[in-house]
Amino acid sequence: MSRIRSALLPPALAILFAAALCAVALVISGASPLTALGVMIGQVGQGTTAVDIVNSAAIYYIVALAAAIGFQMKLFNIGIEGQYRLAACVAAIVGGLIVLPPVLHTLVIIVVAVLVGAVWAGIPALLKAYRGVSEVISTIMLNAVSLGAIAFLIRPDSFGVLQGNNISTKPIEPSGQFPGLDTGAGTIFGMVVVAVLLGVGYWFLLNRTRFGFELRASGESATAATAGGVNAKRMVIIALVLSGAVAGLAGLPEVLGRDFAYTLTSPQGYGFTGLAVALLGRNHPAGIAFGALLWAFLDKSAIALDNIGVPRDIVLIMQGSVVLSVVVAYEVVRRYELAAEQRRVAAQLRGAPAADKEVVG
Amino acid sequence: MTDYAVELTGITKRFPGVVANSDIHLAVRRGEVHALCGENGAGKSTLMKILYGIQQPDEGTIAVDGAQVRFRSPADAIRAGIGMVHQHFMLADNLTVAENILLGAEAQLGIGAKAKARITELARTVGLNARPDMLVERLGVADRQRVEIVKVLYRGARTIILDEPTAVLVPQEVDDLFATLRGMRAEGFTFLFISHKLDEVRAIADTITVIRRGACVGSADPGAVTSRQLAEMMVGSELPSPETRDSTVTDREVLRVTGLQLAADEGGRSLLADVDLVVHAGEVLGIAGVEGNGQTELVETIMGMRRATDGTITLSGTDITRAGTLARREAGIGYVPEDRTRYGLLATQPLWANRILGHQSRPPVARGGLIDREAARRDTRRIVEEFDVRTPGVDVAAAALSGGNQQKLIVGRELSGDPVLLIASHPTRGVDVGAQAGIWEVLRRARADGLAVLLISADLDELIGLSDTIKVMLRGRLVAAADPATVTPEELGAAMTGADGAAA
Amino acid sequence: MRHRRGMAFAAAVLSSALVLAGCARDTGTPAAGGDAAGTECARNAAPAAAGGAAAPSAAPIAPNADASALRVGLAFDVGGRGDQSFNDSAYAGLERAVAELGLVQDNTREVAAATGESEDARVSRLRQLATEGFSPVVAVGFAYSESLTTVAAEFPDTQFAIVDSVVDLPNVTSLTFAAEQGSFLVGAAAAMRTTSCQIGFVGGVEVPLIQAFEAGFVQGAKAVAPDVEVDVDYISPAGDFSGFNDPARGTEVARGQLDSGADVVYHAAGGSGQGVFEAVAAATTAEAPKYAIGVDSDQFNTVAAPTNEVIMTSMLKRVDVAVFNFINAVAAGDTSVLPQTFDLSVDGVGYSTTGGGVDDLVADLDAYKAAIINGDITVSSTP
Repeated sequence: MSRIRSALLPPALAILFAAALCAVALVISGASPLTALGVMIGQVGQGTTAVDIVNSAAIYYIVALAAAIGFQMKLFNIGIEGQYRLAACVAAIVGGLIVLPPVLHTLVIIVVAVLVGAVWAGIPALLKAYRGVSEVISTIMLNAVSLGAIAFLIRPDSFGVLQGNNISTKPIEPSGQFPGLDTGAGTIFGMVVVAVLLGVGYWFLLNRTRFGFELRASGESATAATAGGVNAKRMVIIALVLSGAVAGLAGLPEVLGRDFAYTLTSPQGYGFTGLAVALLGRNHPAGIAFGALLWAFLDKSAIALDNIGVPRDIVLIMQGSVVLSVVVAYEVVRRYELAAEQRRVAAQLRGAPAADKEVVG
Repeated sequence: MTDYAVELTGITKRFPGVVANSDIHLAVRRGEVHALCGENGAGKSTLMKILYGIQQPDEGTIAVDGAQVRFRSPADAIRAGIGMVHQHFMLADNLTVAENILLGAEAQLGIGAKAKARITELARTVGLNARPDMLVERLGVADRQRVEIVKVLYRGARTIILDEPTAVLVPQEVDDLFATLRGMRAEGFTFLFISHKLDEVRAIADTITVIRRGACVGSADPGAVTSRQLAEMMVGSELPSPETRDSTVTDREVLRVTGLQLAADEGGRSLLADVDLVVHAGEVLGIAGVEGNGQTELVETIMGMRRATDGTITLSGTDITRAGTLARREAGIGYVPEDRTRYGLLATQPLWANRILGHQSRPPVARGGLIDREAARRDTRRIVEEFDVRTPGVDVAAAALSGGNQQKLIVGRELSGDPVLLIASHPTRGVDVGAQAGIWEVLRRARADGLAVLLISADLDELIGLSDTIKVMLRGRLVAAADPATVTPEELGAAMTGADGAAA
Repeated sequence: MRHRRGMAFAAAVLSSALVLAGCARDTGTPAAGGDAAGTECARNAAPAAAGGAAAPSAAPIAPNADASALRVGLAFDVGGRGDQSFNDSAYAGLERAVAELGLVQDNTREVAAATGESEDARVSRLRQLATEGFSPVVAVGFAYSESLTTVAAEFPDTQFAIVDSVVDLPNVTSLTFAAEQGSFLVGAAAAMRTTSCQIGFVGGVEVPLIQAFEAGFVQGAKAVAPDVEVDVDYISPAGDFSGFNDPARGTEVARGQLDSGADVVYHAAGGSGQGVFEAVAAATTAEAPKYAIGVDSDQFNTVAAPTNEVIMTSMLKRVDVAVFNFINAVAAGDTSVLPQTFDLSVDGVGYSTTGGGVDDLVADLDAYKAAIINGDITVSSTP
């Protein structure tokens, strides 16, 4: 019971705190917090917003899982941004160039995206394991490289197709598309299912497999893990490559479910959203799901708020303060609980006063 | 006005699961060198941290010059005229001597000529020969130490805590330091001298207070007490003896290390040189040595956490020189690391997860790449039973246990899965007396069952009591051997410092 | 994308004396026939058709109608109001409609896009405006092509317009601009003005939209001085839209061009243009003046003094004119009067003369303008 409380109390407090902060910011800027809240809640029922939230949350969920895999080992994969974009771009190019039977076509595109993400993350992984290069620095650099690579790949004289003032890759034939679920108020991406499966896989990997154990042990204490026979280099490589492979999938919900191509205006910034959502969800698969939904909800709110003349930046304040206060709240609770547990254990053992002096055997 | 510069009365400090200081009384007369002796983990550091304001006592009072005080931070202690020179110097290499001294104390005399003059004056008192404008990075260890002393004097300290000041010095430097301390003592400074080097303590101290397991054992007159007596006070002669009587040594070789070399990370003297040793089934091989002479590196090389530069390691006839740590563990090596919190445990994870560490590839806790949580819990409960780990359950975080119980858990884990060799590094360091006895008993039984044990310990009584053979390590080499049946701690100590190579 | 490489620098310096002599003569009316065959920067004469006959009037496309009943929604691209670029320009068109057509300020709504946002965000934004009964709804920027196609189909009774893109639906008006034509004119002006026979183009992001500016600029410059060197640089590659809002990198890129010898720099880099102006202002001296050419709006008016003194002219892309005319046409109930493309002939693009930086060149530039309008010169929109 206290376990559940200690898991849910911090985020609840953090959200309340962030909301209060935003309310103050709104009042200062001359808008009514209640109106804003009403609009934020009201938007969910309008148009395809509810479906859009689910779709965006699925994408955020995937990138956040990628980030969380790194976080488990205290690796900061800042490169998710570059990994998912390059993967989506290459996968869209391949998907547009080939035509295969349905399902198979889609699978090939997915595999390509996973491979590109993994390879792109493999570079910083190798640099980190064998040359000690900080993955933060190398992935930031690679993000810039991937921007250039994408720009090159979608040039009209490479793989791009000019569409008015936009450039896109060759559209993917229906055989390669991932069918979604039409709700009447928008289409839920088929890839949402993949995101859910990834979450289950992540949970299983982390909690039930030797690899997951070693990953968490390395994150908790690199020295203890080494003494326990965990190969640190191998773990760094696997963790980053896996993170990149998952990141590679993040662009696909939109490419396979809506845009059917990668274009100049394909979205950016999911990588950084992923880091924030993973922090928000404390690297826990359920927590991340909640964080992704919250983040998507806030993102969509920005559009509705902008429409009533409330500065969209209020959403950024909300997102930022939620992440910060969640991190702080969990840390406070964690310390408090550890101290409480230590006291409890000590108290229970003091119950048998002579026990400490007794000699075994 | 009393005679006492500092009086600690009834100091008690509890940490979760451990009482670090229990009702300690300590009275330090003005103008004396007062030595505080005790083993590692006996509670010396905690006591000094309390006196210096880093930690607050749960009970008890502090009086300085007869007036009761409460220190909330080191700044309070400094204001009361108490300074501390830490074992690890806290100097900025890229600043000059004067800058280091003035850093944070600019308010006193500014940073101009007045401050310079004061520094020069204090430097003379302390015998610091380095010019104030020299960069600290160019100073030797002894000079740095003196800079630290000037630092605390500059801040107005009259009572100075020296935390293991001789640990980093060579004998000649120790003599110089002592000469300086005597001179300053004559000028009325008071010193609290923390050490476990008994000869040095007897040489410099006016009064000795011995602490054991967080409590004051007593005081001694350095003129009258012998090192042996002091050692007995520190270790506690009434403690159960760690002796093993009947030999269980067999002629079956378990571990053989031949010509082991380990180069230093960045040049310099090699960390291990020509190490040869053999441990048989049923044998405890003890390694004695002053810390930092290669014991840690030897253990980590045998465990595969460091790669030997040259030489071979064989386990039960199989060459494992190139094998990884996990492969070595699977081949039957158990490992009780010297620093259990950093190397032995996942502090925030439950006990059962800690049971898996090092066994993540083997039944009962793992099967075919998957972790069997239920089996891990079950087997952890077994360890808790068998090894008397005092815990409310196996789901509490490892950090919630006391040091002794953590250590018992580790020993239990490392003896799981039928190891053929156990490497035990300081297995009873910083654990309570009950746990210590328990761990000794476990090692004795395991040895009787045919386990080969490589024991590294700084506790010479433990080493002599448990070992079948003792080797002495000095500067990365095994320089001497001793028969535990006949050797005394003094002889062993002499061999460890290289003063006497004849212990064999 | 530097067209000129290091080696050429020495040559440029070596020949600068000759060029100076050659150019000095050219500041007046261009010499007939390009006699200066021996010099580096030979100039061609302006087209003969000059004389103001074909110079278009700035007459309105249609008479002002009453827009007081309209509710107008404006969906900006990234940057929104205050970008000193086409979002601001679109807003200026709206303001003019309020001033001249009786449009009620309270009946207008502006919403803006966020950086890197997803397609569904754009769809939601347009749909929100349409749902609340705004008509017409103007989508500013080609990024809205897909989303507008979706939403316009959902709301057949709402009038939409899109800037910089073509959406082929009956209720959508495409407001596109012949940016290459305006760029041609400022390219010609740059080639007339340069003394080093080297000019520069700083693009914000290397996308087709901006490449049209580059193409027109280069063609115009070459038409005047076939040997002129044009340094072409983009701040960021396609897909990275930061190049439109990064004045620091604008300064860097422009300084690189100036250092290598260019003395007239044209930017098509949105907010990054401020950095370009600052680089030019820092490099200009009384002996060796340097010039900048602004874009979209008359930047001599929008950039603060004294930096604006280096702006000899601006290529005008009259998004404001297009938006105003579109609102006017909707108010009048007939969008078919709007031109297919806002080009030179309807003053949809052009160049500015504020500040007097091109007063001596206006006659020649108008000659080129007339030649383009009557078809003697065709300007390509791709480099």
